[in-house]
Amino acid sequence: MMVKVKRRVMHAAFATVLGLSLVLTACSGGKPLNEVSKETTPRNQESADAGNQLEPVELTWYYPQWSIQPDTQKVQDAINKITTKKINATIRLMPTDGGSYEQKLNTMVAANEKFDIAWTSFWMFNYAQNARRGAFVEIGPMLEKNAPELKKTFPDLVWEALKVDGKIYSILNYQTITNKEGFLIQKRFADKYGLNPGTIKTIKDIEPFLTKIKENEPDIIPFGMTRGGNFENMKTTFNNIEYISNEAIVGIYRGDSETKVMDVIQSPEYKEYLNLMNGWYQKGLINKDAPTVKALDDRKKAGQLAVTFHNVLKPGREAEEKNASGGQDIITVPTSEPYVGTNTIIQSMQAISQTSENSERALMFLNLLNSDKELLNLVCYGIEGEHYTRISENTIKPLENSKYNPNITWVFGNGFLADLQEGQSQEVRDQTLKENSEAQSSPILGFTFDPEPVQTEIANIQAVNDEYGPSLNTGAAKNLDQKLAEYIEKRKKAGVEKIVAEVQKQLDAWKRQTGK
Amino acid sequence: MAISLSDEGNVVKYGYRFIPKKFSFEGYEAIFKNPGILINAYSVTILITIVGTAAGLLFTAMIAYVMSRKDYRYRRTTTLYVVFTMLFSGGLVPFYILVVKYLHLKDTLWVLIIPYLVNPFYVMIMKGFLDQMPSEIIESAKIDGAGEYRSFFAIVLPLSVPALATVGLFISFVYWNDWWLGLLFIDTDKLVPLQLLLYRTMNTIEFYAANSQHLSGNVDVTKFPSLTARMALAVLGAGPMLFVFPFFQRYFVKGLTVGSLKE
Repeated sequence: MMVKVKRRVMHAAFATVLGLSLVLTACSGGKPLNEVSKETTPRNQESADAGNQLEPVELTWYYPQWSIQPDTQKVQDAINKITTKKINATIRLMPTDGGSYEQKLNTMVAANEKFDIAWTSFWMFNYAQNARRGAFVEIGPMLEKNAPELKKTFPDLVWEALKVDGKIYSILNYQTITNKEGFLIQKRFADKYGLNPGTIKTIKDIEPFLTKIKENEPDIIPFGMTRGGNFENMKTTFNNIEYISNEAIVGIYRGDSETKVMDVIQSPEYKEYLNLMNGWYQKGLINKDAPTVKALDDRKKAGQLAVTFHNVLKPGREAEEKNASGGQDIITVPTSEPYVGTNTIIQSMQAISQTSENSERALMFLNLLNSDKELLNLVCYGIEGEHYTRISENTIKPLENSKYNPNITWVFGNGFLADLQEGQSQEVRDQTLKENSEAQSSPILGFTFDPEPVQTEIANIQAVNDEYGPSLNTGAAKNLDQKLAEYIEKRKKAGVEKIVAEVQKQLDAWKRQTGK
Repeated sequence: MAISLSDEGNVVKYGYRFIPKKFSFEGYEAIFKNPGILINAYSVTILITIVGTAAGLLFTAMIAYVMSRKDYRYRRTTTLYVVFTMLFSGGLVPFYILVVKYLHLKDTLWVLIIPYLVNPFYVMIMKGFLDQMPSEIIESAKIDGAGEYRSFFAIVLPLSVPALATVGLFISFVYWNDWWLGLLFIDTDKLVPLQLLLYRTMNTIEFYAANSQHLSGNVDVTKFPSLTARMALAVLGAGPMLFVFPFFQRYFVKGLTVGSLKE
């Protein structure tokens, strides 16, 4: 018995040692992961390459991606052929899963890790906050020299919006910069119950239509809503409100020349919205589980949502929504004019890290990426013939089961430069550009609130919002007035006035500075 | 489990049920259509679990054994040192800096194994068990001419199989369920462990739901896996462990008495 056990243990120990040594040898090859196939380009006289006068460098580029692309390495090699030739730099793509991007990048910034370019925005890996923390290089002064094309590409208001405390720290991935709020309605129901889109001017006007669906379509949710509610998406429709701090829910009326900051939860508009939603919920026009549900994508795919509300009715929205709704045709009914605010612009940018040793070259790469169509297409869609086919001069179609189709052009660069995908049209693009240039600009464009002095209060307010928000915003709360009063009271206790005062102070200072 | 076997339309219509209204393997089909990533993640997870558990167990047992020897002079100090790490940690950023800048482990398999090798709590459990081992056994082994190593491997370890099984199971759980290290330190898709894959899938959906009102609606919702596919993934992630667990059950009663007896 003893001998047997002993032998077994000896075996186990041996196996352990063996296993360890195996792994050791497997890993000790020490093959650097960034082995880039060095292309030795023959220097012919015809192409006087700008790249040759520069030292060769390698740039790392972190960006979020929501699905794994097996051919990333291949695409990277192809990209490097172009970049080596033009700016003598090789790019190392570092796609990071979207769900963990923010956490990862925050840690990297805190640890002072060396990297060159990182994707940033106002809603993930916060741009203004990190710029103030000193994570990014100021690129305003470098634009003239290293990115002349870029400087001309965007309208002035974009550069204005990219400023944090008056300095530019990033390059915009140019796309739709406007918001326009409105309803998304399934066409089959609109036709069946004779909805006339022209009659819908405010949120209230849709109610008769919802009631009809409720009465006649037992399997269909008349108005689909998640626990976030819809006030944030409807704020322009409800009297041109603009949020300054999404976390604390404070903002201004765009039309207010005084730009007086207020607590949005105490505004009459919010009350009006609550009353309306409460009525809808009681009548069964909203899905019962709205206060708890986080996403409706599965029901949307099943075509069960008759009407939803969205705050970005950009041109071409219908086609995109059709895909998401299981092939049901969707019509859009806008309830507001297109408008531009800081946050409608700074949705997707590239910034250069403070730890980068080649910030000038990184900017040159970004400039190239946003002006060289071939390069941008490569990054967005992969290699022609291998990952996509060209159906017309500037329209492409991703191949079935392609090994590189991230489908996130908006993360990479100028969305108006890259090729169109099948189903998108040039008209839509022109329409978007037109709206971009005509939209009403916010009176406080370029102002970003610095939450640092009131961090504690904001955290407290967020806790209160989480407690009361879902049941109120979805109309599920039973005794509305009492609940709202409690909510306002608790927000006051948590220090909402202090936040309002702080925002006002910063806004006034900013106005004096910019003379707006 | 039930959801992963149901038909998508029915789940949406009738909500979750214990017995699916209509059986369907669509969820699994969707996953196995692209098995490369999944198999890869599985093998990474299995590898780190096996290697990590074996090595972790060895180190844990060694430390605990030394701490439990009554004739070891710095017993108290060592114990204190171990307990101290249990109570205080350096925090995330120093940990990150250590791993990336000093140990250069970023993007290697090692980074998924090394940080969890020795967990002070398990060392204490192990010590609690070994404390009960009569020191006379070791003395008699010495008289018979066994060296320190021999007495440890040939006598102490075989006698502490219940504790080893228990702690081993704990350690393997830690490795099997870990996505945190992968999230922080892994950039290459080849080294993504299974749980991280799962976490990403779930997280992407959550994330999109939370931020949809900020986005210009450029994210294509149709790209997300359906509900049944998500559940199928969850089953695949947890399944093997559910299977292994009952086999270790019998050691638990013995193994878990953390120093309940006085010397």
